[in-house]
Amino acid sequence: MTIDKIRVRVDAIEQVAPLIREFQLVPVDGELMPFSPGSHVIVEMPDQPRSHRNAYSLLSEPRDAACYRIAVRLQEHSRGGSRFMHEQVKVGDELAITPPANLFAPNWGARKHLLIAGGVGITPFMSYLPALQRVGAGFELHYLFRSKQTGAYRQQLASELGERCYLYDADEGIRCDLGELLGDQPRGTHIYICGPQTLIAGVQEVAQALGWPTSHIHFEAFAAPQPGYPFEVELNSSGRTLAVDGDTSLLEALEDAGIAVPSLCRGGVCGQCKTRVVAGEPDHRDQFLTADERAEGNCIMPCVSRAAGKRLVLDL
Amino acid sequence: MTIEPLIKSRPSYGPVTVQINAKLHLFICTAEGQSALQTLIDAIPQTQRQLLVFSATDARGAVDEKGHSLLAEQVGAALCDAPLATAIYLSGPEAFMWDLRNLARSVGFADEQIQMCEPVGNARRLFCTHCYAITEEVSHSPQTCSGCGRLLLVRDHYSKLHAAYVGVQINAEDPAEIPEPEALS
Repeated sequence: MTIDKIRVRVDAIEQVAPLIREFQLVPVDGELMPFSPGSHVIVEMPDQPRSHRNAYSLLSEPRDAACYRIAVRLQEHSRGGSRFMHEQVKVGDELAITPPANLFAPNWGARKHLLIAGGVGITPFMSYLPALQRVGAGFELHYLFRSKQTGAYRQQLASELGERCYLYDADEGIRCDLGELLGDQPRGTHIYICGPQTLIAGVQEVAQALGWPTSHIHFEAFAAPQPGYPFEVELNSSGRTLAVDGDTSLLEALEDAGIAVPSLCRGGVCGQCKTRVVAGEPDHRDQFLTADERAEGNCIMPCVSRAAGKRLVLDL
Repeated sequence: MTIEPLIKSRPSYGPVTVQINAKLHLFICTAEGQSALQTLIDAIPQTQRQLLVFSATDARGAVDEKGHSLLAEQVGAALCDAPLATAIYLSGPEAFMWDLRNLARSVGFADEQIQMCEPVGNARRLFCTHCYAITEEVSHSPQTCSGCGRLLLVRDHYSKLHAAYVGVQINAEDPAEIPEPEALS
């Protein structure tokens, strides 16, 4: 990262769902800053053989600068990050985080906010809710989960929000009828979705069929680079060649070699890490580049994208 | 003094097309603007469309903040009854269309639901940056402000919020200097 990291200490760890752990982080020195609802931080985990850097939404009250809270779901196909958080991190450990960044802020011009959370996707909305309640905004929370895995904070949310909180536990056979939900909203409603890609795509599909304006639909996916085939990357300025193994992202490989590439979301949506490609064909996996930019093939988002062949030469 | 040719805020108007996923197609125009929409109107089944046509007099600066005009009442009622999945098509003088766009946004419609035809005529609404007064149907620059009487250069800089072009005094240093008026495009 190109911005100063913050040293934090793990103050408490709580199992908030069968597969989700909450970590309370307090500053080691200095102080934290208040943040805007929907913000995330990148947590740097000093694992071996290499460190992990994952983005997690802040779920604490956005005005509370004493402590940040994040929740981590243990991923079945963990590349190491969530497993490290669950198995290695203990109370009292120190971690480095980036200052909060926000790619999923509420649109304050909305006449109503419809929040749709899937599983651990409840986390950004935990910071929305105090802010929405503070300004007296109209909102509903629709929370889809499997109680055998996720569903963190649902009792607390149900009692705090009352009839504005709708719970759908798929393990109890309770499903959310998206067509009914989206078909019965007033004009000026904005939809926010955080959850697995299938939920996001499902809502988008229903919304499109119902004629929703796309600018009123906001989403944040669980951003994690997917593994691929190993390849080599050459740095054009120095001629230096690095090996990128199958489980490491291109961005991580560059960072591990001490090459500073600015990044923010680490999930292929924000555009910060865009890098010029001098030679080789990229395997684009981001959601940032336009179809034209992809076709030209002269830039890549190294946080998620890889080489289509054995070698890439980057303008670094 | 000449007007700068390229100002980003000046609206450009592309072709207006049918929004296929809309449940209601709401056409709002002046009598002079209707012809630009007619092909689209004819393409929509009668049960899925609504057409509001206003005379030039009713349309003139008609949507005021108090919403007291016939136009604001009728359009406001139509917008409030319209479903979330409504496509809005506008045609008429530029200020008329942007007033309606602002009205539609105020009741929760998104920009991409609102399409505008090429404006009818070159008339501009002018916003005075000195006294904030509005001068309607301006065709030449400079133009005397209807509020403070200053001689205003009519810029291409457009305020969507005011649905007006921005005017600044052209002869602030020497009010005796009266430049020759030029027709606006």
